[in-house]
Amino acid sequence: MTQLTRRKFVKAAGACAALGAMVSVSPRTFGKAKKGRVIVIGGGYGGAIAAKYIKMADPDIDVLLIEKNANYVSCPLSNEVLGGDRDIDSLTFDYANLSHKHGISFMTDEVVEIDAAKHSVKGKSGKQYDYDKLVVSPGVDFRYEKIDGYNAGVAEQIPHAWKAGPQTVTLRKQLEAMKDGGVCYIAAPPNPFRCPPGPYERAAQIAHYFKQHKPKSKVIILDAKDKFSKQGLFMQGYKKFYGDMIEWVSGASGGIIEAVDPKNNTLVGEVDEYKGEVLNIIPAQKAGKIAHIAGLANDSGWCPVNQKTFESTLHKDIHVIGDACIAGKMPKSGYAANSQGKVCAAAVVAALNGNEAGEPSYVNTCYSIIAPEWGISVAAVYQLVDGKIVGVKGAGGLSPMNANANTRAIEAQFARSWFKNITADMFT
Amino acid sequence: MKNMKKQLSALSAGLLLGWLVTGCATQTPSAQAPKTTKPAAAPAVAAKPAGVRSPSMLANTCAGCHGTNGASAGKIMPIIGGMEKEYMQLVLEEFKTGERDSTIMGRIAKGYSNNELKAIASYLADQTWVSSPFKADPKLAAIGKKIHEKQCKTCHEDGGRVQEDDAPRLAGQWPDYSLHYLKDCHKKGRRCAPRKMGSRVMKLSQEELNAMAHYYASEK
Repeated sequence: MTQLTRRKFVKAAGACAALGAMVSVSPRTFGKAKKGRVIVIGGGYGGAIAAKYIKMADPDIDVLLIEKNANYVSCPLSNEVLGGDRDIDSLTFDYANLSHKHGISFMTDEVVEIDAAKHSVKGKSGKQYDYDKLVVSPGVDFRYEKIDGYNAGVAEQIPHAWKAGPQTVTLRKQLEAMKDGGVCYIAAPPNPFRCPPGPYERAAQIAHYFKQHKPKSKVIILDAKDKFSKQGLFMQGYKKFYGDMIEWVSGASGGIIEAVDPKNNTLVGEVDEYKGEVLNIIPAQKAGKIAHIAGLANDSGWCPVNQKTFESTLHKDIHVIGDACIAGKMPKSGYAANSQGKVCAAAVVAALNGNEAGEPSYVNTCYSIIAPEWGISVAAVYQLVDGKIVGVKGAGGLSPMNANANTRAIEAQFARSWFKNITADMFT
Repeated sequence: MKNMKKQLSALSAGLLLGWLVTGCATQTPSAQAPKTTKPAAAPAVAAKPAGVRSPSMLANTCAGCHGTNGASAGKIMPIIGGMEKEYMQLVLEEFKTGERDSTIMGRIAKGYSNNELKAIASYLADQTWVSSPFKADPKLAAIGKKIHEKQCKTCHEDGGRVQEDDAPRLAGQWPDYSLHYLKDCHKKGRRCAPRKMGSRVMKLSQEELNAMAHYYASEK
């Protein structure tokens, strides 16, 4: 447990007193609910929402959120930290409101074992917790083995920064320390991965910083793919704001990275080697660790689910949401996780009330900020057809290519207000 | 008359209750029918015939951008929870047809049938309006108030608090959003709907538009 400052302690104590009940949890007492016990593993864009919306829909269900970190740092908008327009604190949240306002029990613990037959989970702390329904929202883990020489240890020095937090700060510091005229390489991962437009927004944000402070520097994206999300809009924005400062190398043109030589700060491609002042490797991905331990993932590395309820097709009474699950046409985005968290919450509440799950509805909205006043977006509305999540025809799509500067400026503002609201949806 | 209309809408909300997920534990909606029947009396999510999506299922997808139950915490995103039902339905339909300009709402509204848009509007209308915490500049608000008294209050009564099917709530709205809307209307002039609003807004200066936004933000 982290230390509470006196002020924070008084505030927390006051919040409890005001509600007349301290929401605390011990493994043995959790689970006296009239309607059942739900455990949610992972308090991010999917898990925090599932926990909150289950409790909102039916306060008679006991909800326990188990999260390994005391604070949450948002990945969305973290590229603005690299660009210099935002600090990491503005992306950092705690779970106090979920606990005190919504009556969700909260444990800082890392789940290391799930016993699907016995309906119980075990934490690193040694504590065991029983559930009627389990929601697993573990996010992604990295396939370090796909790049020779790369591993979690090397990632402290050559960060992926694909989970926001200390590595985001490390990468920012490296950019700040870099001399003008240097090159920052971003190795972009193969599909599917968390936040498809993210590497390309990152390139723009780093270029935004270079343009102001290191105008002779370059950002080069070495891509495992031959095309990417919002490509036309990104290329248009790159050209408009950063000219030749950003270069994109497709997989077919030698962008696929096979190894890293940390001593020489060099990325090794199929054909060429790339020595840069700052390296950012975003490795290939798979479902978060616990999904694999618990046998929730298939050969693809991701978790197959019933796309109406997000219940695992491999283990009964365990639901998997967010980046880790296979959700039809939905991308691995924060908004998708939010939307899936709500569909899953409704299905869990229905089941614990002895009802069939209702017909689901899902949305994704994803903004990227190319320059402070230049935002672009993609949106989609989804429905369930023959058991698969598919986009509603005629809806959704990209910001238009020919939008004027005013529209782009408004979309950049929308991006930041989107962040305010989606995090408020999670943490207030 | 207005009160009666409100009661009617509260009543119809009550009729819908059987298949609504009601409210958030942190909100205590006043003067709303759901309050009395909110606890476990009805299951939170009742079985629905396949293919029909419940109002809460549909409307909860809005919260990612507009905040939980439409109580926006982002300064350029409008607060929509507690907005008048018919007005919101109309706006959503206009987004869908493209009659109303938008950056993203048109793309999203096209994903729903008109019945679904109606369900979304009525679900959000049943939520409690939560005014923005923004502290308006008193000087600007005073200028805005004068303009409001002269030109706006016939339709936007009681400082923009009263809602009609053709007049949304303005009081307590985020000023950045109000200003964004007013600027758009100013640019469109007589093409801004309704025309009588456009023809008045187009004559105001940018400073006056900003003052209007501050005035409505000051009226919680």
